[in-house]
Amino acid sequence: MTGPALRVERALRLLPDLEALTPLRALVVATSRAEAGAQWASSGPYLTLGKRGVEPGQLRRRLDDMLEQISEHLSVLYHAYIDALEALAAGDPAPAVAALLRAGRSEEGPGRLSQARVWYEVALKLADELQDRRPEIEILGSLGRLARTQGHFQQGARYFQRCLALAEAEFDQSGVAEACAGLGSLAAAQGQWAGARSWYRRGLTAAQSARDLKRIGHLYHRLASVDFHEGDPAAALENLQEARRSVEAIQDAEGLARVLAAQGDVESEQGHADAAALSYREGLAWARRASAPAVECAILIRLAEFHLKGDRFHEAEEELRRAEQTAIAHTLSRRLVQVYTLMGRLRGRQKDETGFVFFEQAIELCRVTERVPSAEGRLYREYGNFRSLLGSPDEARAYLEKARAIFESLGETGELEGVEADLERIAG
Amino acid sequence: MPNPPAPKAPPAPGAAESPSSLRLLGVGLDGPLTHSLRPWVMELQAQVEFVADLPHAVRRLAAGHWDVVLTVLGEHPDEDLHWWANALRGRPGAPRLIAFAHRPSMGLALRAEQLGTHDLLALPVRREELLRALRRVGRGTSEVAVPLEATADEDAGRYALVGQSPAMLEVYKLIARVAPSTATVLVQGESGTGKEVVARAIHANGPKASGPFVALNCAAIPENLLESELFGHEKGAFSGAVTRKIGRFELAKGGTLFLDEIADMTLPLQAKILRAVQEREIERVGGGDPIPIDVRLIAASNRELRDAIQQGRFREDLYYRLAVVIVRLPRLSDRGNDLTLLAAYFARQFGAQYGKEVTGFSDRTLELLTAHRWVGNVRELRNVIEQAVIVADAGTVLVEHLPDEIRGHEGSLSGTMAGELATLAEAEARHIARVLAHAGGQIGAAATILGIHRNTLTRKIREYGL
Repeated sequence: MTGPALRVERALRLLPDLEALTPLRALVVATSRAEAGAQWASSGPYLTLGKRGVEPGQLRRRLDDMLEQISEHLSVLYHAYIDALEALAAGDPAPAVAALLRAGRSEEGPGRLSQARVWYEVALKLADELQDRRPEIEILGSLGRLARTQGHFQQGARYFQRCLALAEAEFDQSGVAEACAGLGSLAAAQGQWAGARSWYRRGLTAAQSARDLKRIGHLYHRLASVDFHEGDPAAALENLQEARRSVEAIQDAEGLARVLAAQGDVESEQGHADAAALSYREGLAWARRASAPAVECAILIRLAEFHLKGDRFHEAEEELRRAEQTAIAHTLSRRLVQVYTLMGRLRGRQKDETGFVFFEQAIELCRVTERVPSAEGRLYREYGNFRSLLGSPDEARAYLEKARAIFESLGETGELEGVEADLERIAG
Repeated sequence: MPNPPAPKAPPAPGAAESPSSLRLLGVGLDGPLTHSLRPWVMELQAQVEFVADLPHAVRRLAAGHWDVVLTVLGEHPDEDLHWWANALRGRPGAPRLIAFAHRPSMGLALRAEQLGTHDLLALPVRREELLRALRRVGRGTSEVAVPLEATADEDAGRYALVGQSPAMLEVYKLIARVAPSTATVLVQGESGTGKEVVARAIHANGPKASGPFVALNCAAIPENLLESELFGHEKGAFSGAVTRKIGRFELAKGGTLFLDEIADMTLPLQAKILRAVQEREIERVGGGDPIPIDVRLIAASNRELRDAIQQGRFREDLYYRLAVVIVRLPRLSDRGNDLTLLAAYFARQFGAQYGKEVTGFSDRTLELLTAHRWVGNVRELRNVIEQAVIVADAGTVLVEHLPDEIRGHEGSLSGTMAGELATLAEAEARHIARVLAHAGGQIGAAATILGIHRNTLTRKIREYGL
C-alpha cells in the first residue's frame, strides 16, 4: 500500500506567511483533494481542509494559469494607476478618480478588502477636487461597505453619513438609498432594530423615486430581516414577496436566490419545514443559474442550519460537506470558517468530543485569511458553547470571554447579550 | 421569470408499474430537442413535461412523483452531474437521471456511473438509445419482500459484533484469547471493518473493563495538536492553551487507550509514544514533571504498518511494542452472508431511531446490496441502510430507497458512448476505475492488482480523465 498524501496542514506550514504568497496559498487550498475512500475511514467524519491531500504535480500544472491571473490582476492595477496619472497630467481628475475606483473594485472582487480600502481612500482624496460629487458618493458607499464587513462600525457610519449628506445635496436618490441601506445594516449589526427599520424605509423611498429595482429588492429584503428578528414572520414574508417582485423584474437570479434563502429562514422559523426546504432548494437552483458559488455556499450553510434545528444530523452533515466542497473549490475562506463552525456545533450536538477539530481548523483559517472580527467572535462563542456542552466549563469560559472581548470592541450589542447569557449559564 | 403553471395531481407513489406510465421531466432542453423527444416518449405512452431551467425543475420535482429527469449537461458537466445527484437524492419516487452531453468524454461517463446516473447519452440524441434507457428504468419489474434476517440482541452480543461467517468466527476466537490479558494489541483492517468495535470488545472483556475506554483518532487531529491531546498541556504552553488540559493517556488511567489510525502519526510523536509505552510515564506539554500511566494500549491502522516501516514512515521498534498480538479484520466482501445479517441489524437500529418499523428488504434490493463493492465495508453499509431507512416510509426497503451509487448497478451504462458494445479503451477505463475504487484510490495497490507499473497506471488515469 502507498502512504498517505502530503496534507494541506503540512503544505501550508511550509509556506511563509508573506502577502506575496497569498495566491499560492489559495491555490494549495483549491487544488487539495480528499483522499479516495477517506470518507469511510474512522477519521472520515472529522475531515477538514488540513487533512486533504496536496499533489505538487497538480500545483505545478495549475501554476501557469495562476501566474497569468496574477499578472492580469497586477496589469489592471498598474494600468489604472497610469491612467490616473495621464488624466491628472491632462488636468482632468475625473477619469483619474474613475481609474482609482476601478483598481479598488478589482481588489475587492477577490476579497482583498484592506487593499481595496487603500485604493478607495486615495480615490476619495482626489474626488474632493471634482465638481461632480457622484464619484465621491460612490467611493464613500464602498468605503462604508468595507468598514462594515471588517467590523469597523463607527468608521462605516461616518462614511455612510457623509455619503448620505452628499447624495441628498446632489439629489442622487440611488446614492441616498445606498447610504441608508448601509446605515440600516450597521444599526442591525448592533441590534438596533428600530433604527435599522427607519433607515431601510427611508432608503426604500429613495430607491423607489429613483426606480432603482435592484436596490428596492435589496431594501425590502433587509426590511424582512428586521421583521424576522422582531418576531413578525408574516410581515417578513410580505416584504420578501415585494423583494421577489423587484428582482424578478430585472432578471436578477442571484438576488432571487438570496430572497428565497431568506424566505426559507422565515418558513423554517414558522415550523413550515417542507416549504422552507423547497425555498432553500429553489434558491440553490437560482444561485447555480447565476453561477454564484458564494451565494450557493451561503444557502447550503443555511440549509444545514435548518436541518440541525430539526435534529436531522445526517442531512445537516451532507449539506455542510457540499458547502465545504464549494467553499474550497472557489476559495471562499470566510464561508469555510462558517462551515467548520457549524460542523463543530453539529458534533457538539452529537456529544462528540473530537468535533473540536473543526473549531481549531476554523481558527487556523481566520489566522491565515483576511480578518473579519464578527465572524471570529461567533466562532469563539460557538467553540465556548461546544466545550460547555461537553463538560469543560473552564475552557468554555475562556473561549466565551474571548468572544465577549471581540463583540465589545465591535459594539455588536445583540451578539454581546448572547455571549453574556452563555457565560451566566455556565456560572449558574 | 413567471412561475410555471400549477402542478397536476401527481399519481400515487409506486403506482407506475410499467414503462407505459413513466412520468418524465425534461429540464432545460431546447426547442428542437423537445420537439424530437416528445413523439419518441409518446411511443412508450409515457407522460412528459418540460421546464425551462433548474429553479423551475426544483418546484416541479417537489410537486409530484417523477420517474425520470432528462437534462442537458452544460459547460461544466461534472459539476452538473453532482448537482443533480444531490438534487434528486431523497425525492419522492427517487427519479433517475438521464443526462445528455455534447461529446461526452470517457471520464464523464465514468463519473456518471460513479454517481449512479441512470444513463448518459451523447447529443444529438438517438431515438433507439433514449427508448432503451427509458425501458431500463425498471418500473416493470416487481419487487418481492424478503423479511429481515433474525438478529436478536443476543446475536449482536455485548461486543456489538454482528456476523457468523467463518472469517468473523476466527476474529471472535482471537478476541476471546487476548482479552483476558493486558497485552498490547494491534488491530488491522481496511476502513470500516470495525476496528474500534473490536477494541471495545477486548476492553470490555479484559482486566481493565471497570476502567475507562478512551479513544483517540490520530488522523483526525491536527498534527500540531496531537501531542497535547495525547499527553495534555499546562495553561499557556502554547498560544491556544487557554487552560490546563489532561491528555488521553491520563484520562485512560486504569482502563484502555485506543489509538486509531496510528500510522498517521509523525515520527517525532511516534518516539514519544514509544517512550510512554516503555517507561510507563508521560510529560504534559509545557510541564516538567513525569506522570506515571496505567493503561492498556490498543492501536489500529487501516494501512499495512510493515510497508510504512519499509518506507521509513513508521518506527519499527514502536511496531513491535504495539503488535504483541495482531487482530486482522476481514473485508465485508469476504464475510459472505454477514452482509444480510448486518443489513437487517442496521435496518432495525435505524428503524427504531427514526420511528419506522422496517420489516424487510425487497429481493432486488438485496441483490443490489450483494453486488456492490463496499469499499467502505461495514461503515458504508451502515450509511446506506441509514439513508434508505430515512427515505423509506416503513415496511419493506425497496430499490428506490437506495442511494444512486448503489442503484447504479441496476441500469448498466453499457452503450453509453456509441452503440451497445464498448471499445477496448472504454472497457479498460471502466476496469481501471473499478480496481481503483476497490483499492480505495491507492494507486500502488491498484497497479499491483492490474499487474502494471504505477507510472503506467498514472498515465492511463490522466489519459482517461479518471
